[in-house]
Amino acid sequence: MAAYRADDDYDYLFKLVLIGDSGVGKSNLLSRFTKNEFNLESKSTIGVEFATRSIRVDDKVVKAQIWDTAGQERYRAITSAYYRGAVGALLVYDVTRHITFENVERWLKELRDHTDSNIVIMLVGNKADLRHLRAVSTEEAKAFAEREKTYFMETSALESLNVENAFTEVLTQIYHVVSRKALEVGDDPAALPKGQTINVGKDDVSALKKIGCCSA
Amino acid sequence: MEGDDSSRRTTNADVSALNSESSDSDSSEDPEVIQGSTFLDGEEENDPDVPLKRKFSPSTNEWLSKLHATEDFSTWQRIIRLDAIRANTEWMPYSVSQAAVSDRRACRLAKAVGLKDYDHLEPYVIFHAARLVTILEAYALYDPEIGYCQGMSDLLSPIISVIPDDYEAFWCFVGFMKKARHNFRLDEVGIRRQLNIVSKIIKCKDSHLYRHLEKLKAEDCFFVYRMVVVLFRRELTFEQTICLWEVMWADQAAIRAGIGKSAWSRIRQRAPPTDDLLLYAIAASVLQKRKLIIENYGSTDDIITECNSMSGQLDVWKLLNDAHDLVVTLHDKIESTF
Repeated sequence: MAAYRADDDYDYLFKLVLIGDSGVGKSNLLSRFTKNEFNLESKSTIGVEFATRSIRVDDKVVKAQIWDTAGQERYRAITSAYYRGAVGALLVYDVTRHITFENVERWLKELRDHTDSNIVIMLVGNKADLRHLRAVSTEEAKAFAEREKTYFMETSALESLNVENAFTEVLTQIYHVVSRKALEVGDDPAALPKGQTINVGKDDVSALKKIGCCSA
Repeated sequence: MEGDDSSRRTTNADVSALNSESSDSDSSEDPEVIQGSTFLDGEEENDPDVPLKRKFSPSTNEWLSKLHATEDFSTWQRIIRLDAIRANTEWMPYSVSQAAVSDRRACRLAKAVGLKDYDHLEPYVIFHAARLVTILEAYALYDPEIGYCQGMSDLLSPIISVIPDDYEAFWCFVGFMKKARHNFRLDEVGIRRQLNIVSKIIKCKDSHLYRHLEKLKAEDCFFVYRMVVVLFRRELTFEQTICLWEVMWADQAAIRAGIGKSAWSRIRQRAPPTDDLLLYAIAASVLQKRKLIIENYGSTDDIITECNSMSGQLDVWKLLNDAHDLVVTLHDKIESTF
């Protein structure tokens, strides 16, 4: 992998996408997770941007390549092209603006239309620090997530609340799916909400770096 | 292509060709005119009372309803307010009077346009945001096919920084958007045409680099998407942006005024005016990194990262020089195919 910098030593590379309406805080979630930065006046994302960060899961180094996308409907055609090969998604809404939660359903459909059915999805209610402005209750979102079989977490990129947890949880679940697939272990419905396989095709960005894992 | 007009016409032909697969409003003959309406063309349209009453052909209505199924005016309003609040403040030192706006005046305007969540901001930021809202909402009504698309606030912000009156700034923006609006079309025809030209310039100038891009499946040049959409606004500083845009506009004005290629070439070392100077500049910015791309980059992702991190790294004068060199050597080839 000559293309990647020398300090990049990892066992797995997982591609994640950050999607959701404009202004829900996708870019700030990304910069909080990858650079520990937050910018109240961060610009709208035009097209796509991405950043990476490696974390440790069990004894493996998992590198997340996270694609941040423009929120506006108009950019959907270009951004959806970047869904390809994604094995995880954070679908973000703003807990202070109910409309962004209502639109989650459309985003979910969009995501499922463009990605492998086994993609690990987490519904993320961001801006949880704005307690006095809350417009979407935790219960409402939780019920939706259960119905749609996605994970769920409330976060605050500003207060650095749960950001680490949200990304780590998604990456860990993907890791479990992939390593389970590798070991050909049978079903364990308790650990995962749905199907157990993730398609790790040859040209997937998510392809395993080290041989042996896929071929079992 | 012999006349100055012809390059514009080939642009239209190209757009029509790209449109041939779809039967919606994109079959428009002239990309500068919304089909079924003439409001973006002609002097008499400079009457602020006119734009609200528009007649659309059935196909345009179909197109609009498709867009409106997902985006309506209230959606645009919401996104405009979001973007207005987070507009950058680099313009401040260049517009002393607007920077010195009183708290009362700023808040009065903000209230009038329904701005929210601005308590933490300085008066000049609030004032700037409120002006952005005023003009962008007016534009969304004036050009409902485009409405509001993120990135438009980036284009308007420098304009209102140098033009204190809203009505003047609005009409300047309308003029600016005549060309730029195609980047924001839902069907992506405009943006794809421009990315194709950047790709063609790179192909003609540097076949080695182009082959490398092909190998990485990046020859479509989607990695310069943002540069095209907001005309380098995110990569350049305020002062550099104004500089690049003015040179670009001078070229376009020269074409409109019918300044012959020979007269122009005496002024600028044989670089004829082009409608697409921006695209040559974008190609130049990529070509400046050719060695790095060929030797070190093994995936599209690397190139996207590089392009997204050009902010603050570019020398606008070098960029313009390189762009003009490309125009001199390539304009015949490029403009005969687009």
